[in-house]
Amino acid sequence: MRRDLVVRYAPFTLSLIVGAALWEIGGRYTSAAFLVPLSETLVRLEQLVQSGELVRQTLSSLALFFVGLGLAALVGAPAGLALARWPALRRALDLYIMILYATPMVALIPFILSLMGFGFAPKVLVVFLFAVFPILYNTVEGARSLKPELIEVARSFRSSEWALWRDVVMPYTLPFAMTGLRQAIGRALVGMIAAEFFLSSTGLGQLIMTASQNFDTGGLFAAILVIVVLGVGLMRLGRAIELHYARWRV
Amino acid sequence: MTDAALAPDRPTMLPRLYAGAAIVVLWELVVRGFAPSYVATPFGIAMALPRVLADATFLKATAITLGAVAEGLVIALAIGTVLGLLIGRSLVADRALRHYVNACYAVPMIVVLPLVSLWFGYTGAARLATIVFAASFSIAVNVADGARAVPRDYLEVAHSFRSSEGRALFEIVLPASMPYFLAGLRLAAGRALIAAVVAEFFTAIPGLGYFILYNSRVFRHNDAFVAVLLLGGFGVGFDALVNYATRRYLPWYRRADGDN
Repeated sequence: MRRDLVVRYAPFTLSLIVGAALWEIGGRYTSAAFLVPLSETLVRLEQLVQSGELVRQTLSSLALFFVGLGLAALVGAPAGLALARWPALRRALDLYIMILYATPMVALIPFILSLMGFGFAPKVLVVFLFAVFPILYNTVEGARSLKPELIEVARSFRSSEWALWRDVVMPYTLPFAMTGLRQAIGRALVGMIAAEFFLSSTGLGQLIMTASQNFDTGGLFAAILVIVVLGVGLMRLGRAIELHYARWRV
Repeated sequence: MTDAALAPDRPTMLPRLYAGAAIVVLWELVVRGFAPSYVATPFGIAMALPRVLADATFLKATAITLGAVAEGLVIALAIGTVLGLLIGRSLVADRALRHYVNACYAVPMIVVLPLVSLWFGYTGAARLATIVFAASFSIAVNVADGARAVPRDYLEVAHSFRSSEGRALFEIVLPASMPYFLAGLRLAAGRALIAAVVAEFFTAIPGLGYFILYNSRVFRHNDAFVAVLLLGGFGVGFDALVNYATRRYLPWYRRADGDN
């Protein structure tokens, strides 16, 4: 058992140590404007935590992230369900959803900027646009495989419309929507940082921007480190949600 | 898909056309009724289309951006395939490298922009670096999945015929992980396009992203939107191309969710 644990975690730990060492050594032998050693980054990180700035900016970013993602889920999931229930609607709209899913939404940021200016609402719109189409697209892809027979059987057992939604449409479509939600989490993160970079500067995006403008490379790496942790954590969350709902599909 | 499943899909062109017309009319009416006059409308875009398509700066911007995306994708293919094969076929590499690759994949790629512009300056090299960073890891993750999913029997047969490791790699592992590779490439192309546009926003170097930024700032939204349409077209076109290639050249492959 113990041996197993060693075999399992030794390469992992070792590679973390090697990575940290490479960063430290690389940082010491290059100009401070390019790369600062890990130790300095951690010192800077601690300063940012101590001053409360990091917590404040992270919370501000997370508020943007969750409002945008929440709106996307609130719009995307019901719309996806409707597309599953009414195939005619789905056939009319699936092409356009696919096109919007494949279009890089970042390209719309300059338009949003000149129309809505600065503030919280345009940034939420950016996150929303990044997040809503993966949810819709995956739900439509799932809805395509919802067999008409399932609905016909339910109908022939005199199922009410509500019972049909509750027992057939929702259980069938939700797992696909959750796959969409996982993708949406990744895209919403990109949208969050893009909004904070290119619209009014707030949150972790602002932390990065000010650090790079002040040539505070330590602060820059500290902020990126926080975003990496945030990104990995949120992706894990997304995968956990997807697996939870996808149990029957496997 | 069976023929029975395809048949009811055939008369779908008509509803699609109606829906498309409804979207266009709604867009035109809403913008005319409620938005400032510079906002893009379908009619305005159609009017701007011939002018923009004949515009030398636009054509040059398109060539630059697409060239950078293609160059970045080639580099990312090399990096991603090597990383992916390593992680997929070697347990040690998997344990040592996978969390780095996953972290790089999960992090929103645009956070590297300030860093690469610090390293490479406000130049095309910064854009290229962003594209490579954005594209490499989705390929690596997918190739790793593919290399791991190679049926053990294939490799056992190869070994029992005394095939060398190298031949097994090139003649069994690589072809067998082809569908995963293509799925990764599709993801990577989308991410590379986003990376190029974002890098141009950030560094203000010439390209389609900068074309959009500049024209929307001088309130020529119709012109700028032509570039957005073009980007969307590339996104959709590449998706369609990869789907077609998968169906045409890898007909033995069925995605796990049965939709292909």
